[in-house]
Amino acid sequence: MIPIELYVGLAVIIFTIGLYGFMTQRSGIRMLMSVELMLNSANLNLVAFSSYNADLTGQVFALYSIALAACEAAIGFAILMTIFRMRDTINLDSFNILRW
Amino acid sequence: MLPILSLIVLIPLIFAALTLLTKTKQQARAMALVATVAVLVLTMYMYFNFDSTIAENQFVEMYQWVPSLGITYHLGVDGIAMPLILLNAIVLPFLILFTWNDERKSPNRFYALILATEGAAIGVFAALDFFLFYIFWELTLIPLFFMVSIWGGPNKHHASIKFFIYTHVASLVMLLGIFGLYFAAWEATGTPSLDIPYLLSQFQFIESGLMKDMIVLALLFGFIVKLPVFPFHSWQPDAYTEAPTAGSVLFVMLKIGGYGIFKIVLPLLPFTASPGLMINILAAVGAISIIYGAFAALAQKDLKRMIAYSSVSHMGYVTLGAAGMVSLSVSGAMFQQFSHGLIMSVMFMASGVINSTAGTRIMNDLGGLAQRMPKLAVIMVLTFMASLGLPGLTGFIAEVSVLAGSFVNLPAYVIIALLAIVITAAYHLWALQRTMFGVFNEKLGTIVDINGYQTLSMGIIAILILYFGLNPSPVLDMMLTNSENIISLMAVMGV
Amino acid sequence: MAIGDLAFLIPLLPALAFVLTFFLGKKLPNGGAIIPIAAIATSFVISLLITLNLLQNPGEVITQSYSWFAMFNLGILVDPLAAVMLTMVTFVSLLIHIYSVGYMSHDRSQSRYFAETALFTASMLSLILSDNILQLFISWELVGVCSYLLIGFWYQKPAAATAAKKAFLTTRIGDVMFLAGIVILFSDLFKIFNGTIPDGVFIMRFDEIFAHIPELAAMNANILGMEVSHITIITLLFFGGAVGKSGQFPLHVWLPDAMEGPTTVSALIHAATMVTAGVYLVARTFPMFIAAPDTLLVVAYLGAFTAIFAATMGIVMNDLKRVLAYSTISQLGYMMLGLGIGAAIGAEAVGMSIFHLINHAFFKALLFLCAGSVIHAVGTHDMRQLGGVAKVMPITAATMIIAALSLAGFGIPGTIFGTSGFFSKDAIIEGAYLFGESSGMWIPYVLSIVAALLTSIYIFRLIFMTFFGKPRTDYGGHESHASMTIPLSILALLALFFGGLTSRRFNDFVSETFGNNFVNMNIPELAEMGGYHLAAHVGHEPVLILWMPLIVAVAGLLIAYLIYGLKVVNMDNLVSRNNPVYKLLYNRYYQNAIFTDFISVKIIYEGFAFAVRSIDRGFDWVVNWISDVTIETGDSLRQFQTGVIQTYATAVVAGVGLLIVLIKVIMEVI
Repeated sequence: MIPIELYVGLAVIIFTIGLYGFMTQRSGIRMLMSVELMLNSANLNLVAFSSYNADLTGQVFALYSIALAACEAAIGFAILMTIFRMRDTINLDSFNILRW
Repeated sequence: MLPILSLIVLIPLIFAALTLLTKTKQQARAMALVATVAVLVLTMYMYFNFDSTIAENQFVEMYQWVPSLGITYHLGVDGIAMPLILLNAIVLPFLILFTWNDERKSPNRFYALILATEGAAIGVFAALDFFLFYIFWELTLIPLFFMVSIWGGPNKHHASIKFFIYTHVASLVMLLGIFGLYFAAWEATGTPSLDIPYLLSQFQFIESGLMKDMIVLALLFGFIVKLPVFPFHSWQPDAYTEAPTAGSVLFVMLKIGGYGIFKIVLPLLPFTASPGLMINILAAVGAISIIYGAFAALAQKDLKRMIAYSSVSHMGYVTLGAAGMVSLSVSGAMFQQFSHGLIMSVMFMASGVINSTAGTRIMNDLGGLAQRMPKLAVIMVLTFMASLGLPGLTGFIAEVSVLAGSFVNLPAYVIIALLAIVITAAYHLWALQRTMFGVFNEKLGTIVDINGYQTLSMGIIAILILYFGLNPSPVLDMMLTNSENIISLMAVMGV
Repeated sequence: MAIGDLAFLIPLLPALAFVLTFFLGKKLPNGGAIIPIAAIATSFVISLLITLNLLQNPGEVITQSYSWFAMFNLGILVDPLAAVMLTMVTFVSLLIHIYSVGYMSHDRSQSRYFAETALFTASMLSLILSDNILQLFISWELVGVCSYLLIGFWYQKPAAATAAKKAFLTTRIGDVMFLAGIVILFSDLFKIFNGTIPDGVFIMRFDEIFAHIPELAAMNANILGMEVSHITIITLLFFGGAVGKSGQFPLHVWLPDAMEGPTTVSALIHAATMVTAGVYLVARTFPMFIAAPDTLLVVAYLGAFTAIFAATMGIVMNDLKRVLAYSTISQLGYMMLGLGIGAAIGAEAVGMSIFHLINHAFFKALLFLCAGSVIHAVGTHDMRQLGGVAKVMPITAATMIIAALSLAGFGIPGTIFGTSGFFSKDAIIEGAYLFGESSGMWIPYVLSIVAALLTSIYIFRLIFMTFFGKPRTDYGGHESHASMTIPLSILALLALFFGGLTSRRFNDFVSETFGNNFVNMNIPELAEMGGYHLAAHVGHEPVLILWMPLIVAVAGLLIAYLIYGLKVVNMDNLVSRNNPVYKLLYNRYYQNAIFTDFISVKIIYEGFAFAVRSIDRGFDWVVNWISDVTIETGDSLRQFQTGVIQTYATAVVAGVGLLIVLIKVIMEVI
């Protein structure tokens, strides 16, 4: 049995990578990928604790979360495609019209 | 039995919705006239069946609504509400007639808003449950806001937003007061209820004196901003001046601030921890308003703005009289509300006519209008005289009752108020001199006298001013009954 | 049915005439003048019959009261005082109305004129008939507003509109004092009744008020360290009202300006319907005045001062009507003095003062109507342009000279030969002498004698400048129509003979006012309460004192004749802008500059009103400031919304970090 700490540690590493990517990258696709990473680190935690506590609820949540992530990715990419068609770029720094 | 109060409240609201659907000015105004006349007929029926010798609520309708929170559908009128409903019912048909031939954009919305205001205002007077009371209270804001911001004068947006936010903040403070009363009474008695008569009777069982003071002060704040009196009046000159004539008349019909003081604050006052402080607050804002409003009116150049400030001055009598703690002064203050509604509506109509025919309301640019508008001149002189408190007209009855009654307990404040009487006369007469008398200003071009509808509507209200000035008993008797009831409460508490 | 039951019709008929004339007058000939004339004539007949009835039985006065609202009532009270006033007012008003038919025949707004004069008369009659102080105040105010409408009758003229406003506002200052008096009186009575007034007791009714005079006198207020009795405060405030209405110093400024109205209106105001109201008020509430320490002394001094103050200005005026206006003020001063000397002679003073009021009404109405007749005929009222009018208008001249003799007070003491004015003025001056004798205060007497001299000078100056000598300009003119000259002749007869015929009986009759079935006052007892010592009756003065008024009247006539008739002194030297005395008088002691320009415009309008407007802008500024601050706060806070996602992410991370730290800290603390 792999100790729970290792799963949590892995999840922390993945989450941090995702967070770093989200905060440093400018490209929309990369940012979306980073978000996926963070989500999956959470999923990993859910599954790990589920098996640790012998309770399936966590795994059900993880499944929901994966489905949500898929939806999010689909919508996100669709938006990015539209943006790219309009502006020929997916650098999100140039899309700050919602400021103020 | 016919649910007559519900009908009086609902007819204007339903007709307001129907009026929105009409297409032409002819349909809209006819619809509005039908609704207001129906309200007038029902109100007259109610008035003639009203027993003015008892202070209890009459024509009561009560149904459970949300029992778990103590919300009921509870309507009824007493001698404080009846004259104000009567005032609205009387003036509104004539207001519709007054605007009969006016040209304006989207008349259907215009008349719908007038009806909605009437329904909401009567709703406030008829409600005996704080839930209903607050709904109707807030409902009066909306039509007037649109009235000012759509058909108002050049500065309409500023005025309408200022009016809305200012009075809305006050309403929220009042709502806090209502909540305080509701929860404190719940705690004290163990049953939740928003019923106004019930809460008024349970107020004395609230333990904390501070809580009681806070409740009454919060309610009082909401009411005196709505009146309005010094120093919370600054929304009023803007709103009254920028509103279209019908809007200004609706504003003065909306006597909900003073009504709240008589109906809710005065019965609570003797049971607060510091009634003396409250009385002095009321009297001080009253006396200062009277003299402050008079001086401010004297300095105005715009006729309508002058009328607006004179209204601040008149409203001072309401709070001064309410603080007088003698049945004569309290009923005089109630009568002042009634009288002020009649007088101001004609004054605003007159200023509206002058503005539309002469193209300006700046008094120095007018002059000699009496030569071209003799009918308006007669009506205007009469109402200005009523407004400055000439005996034989309604204003005098109210003022002399307030002054004489209040002097018993509050001599210093009354002396301040007396000083304003000459100033009041001065600005009224000076305004008459600059607009009506003197040499006709040829630059004004063709001036036509008021048309038949305007003469009829202004003339009849003017006649009512004279009638109630000579014979105030039809409305004053019920006010006296109710104020004696309030005063007897005070006497019990030894205030 | 007794005639007394019709008393309520006396004010009601003219009031109805007002309504009828107002709505129908335009369609009738002469502006519907016949309606008010008929109404007032009927009122006059009723008043006269009531007076004759009362003369038989002065103890039985007519009273009727009806509940109005709260503890107030409306009602009528006809006692000797009211009866003589009613008869005089209806009579003089009737003559003026008849005269007006001719005088106003060229005016387009005749119907409005007759409607307003009818209302004016009705208000005054209702004032006289009031059985309670509130109704009296109501009528008092109505009189004020009618005078406003009538002085501003030619509202197209800015001067008329201004004069009307000035009249209303000046008298309003007095009215406010009167109202304050009523308010204090109400609250005192309310306290005396302990706040519970039984049904059927009308606390503002005169009998109720008089019955509580001792309690009122016992109440004291502390004003600036002085103990003042409430009754003194109340009566002084009432007197303040009378000062405004009856044109006493310093609220007399409106009366001369009131000349902007038609001359007939001036006649109404000065003789019958307005200025006498103040005197009537003091007479009506005389039991209160005599029970109030010091008030009557104020009345006497102010009356005497006004009498001489106005007379000095009357001497220099060049406007026919203005001379008469100052003459009215001066004569009203005499009436007030007459009431004031009640401090020495008790209730008899009321009789004397009212007697002078009635006689004054006759000769002053006559003077104004004559002046109107002259103005109507020649079209100017500047005396410097007139002269020799007697030749073209003999009836007018004759009647005006009679009026002047009456005003100056010509008559032989101790007999019944004398003009009406002589009997009443003489009585007042003698009363002032008694007052001096009993109290040692001689100033009122001296002032009244000097004022009598000045009166004679200014009125004969007017006569000589207007009617005698050579015409100074080519004014044309002709004798007026019979509808104007007949009223003049009737008034002239009264100005000549009324005083002589009634003198003693009149006084006795009016003195019955305070002892009858309505009120029964013990005046000497009240006077003791007020601290006054009543002297013996009038009529036992030294011979010189009796003859003194006649001597000064003749002296005045001679002086006027020498200066303006024979022109022994060249007036041009005196009448110049370089003569400071003349300048002071001609500019009317600079009252206009002080009251209008300085107090009302500079202090009230530009001072207070503008200050309040600035304060008001301050309040508005605070409200707007709150809204501005809210907007600005929002403005600065929204800078955080950069629109850059990474910023938001950073903020989220920082927030989460902060949350963790916080939780940690909280956990540790707990």
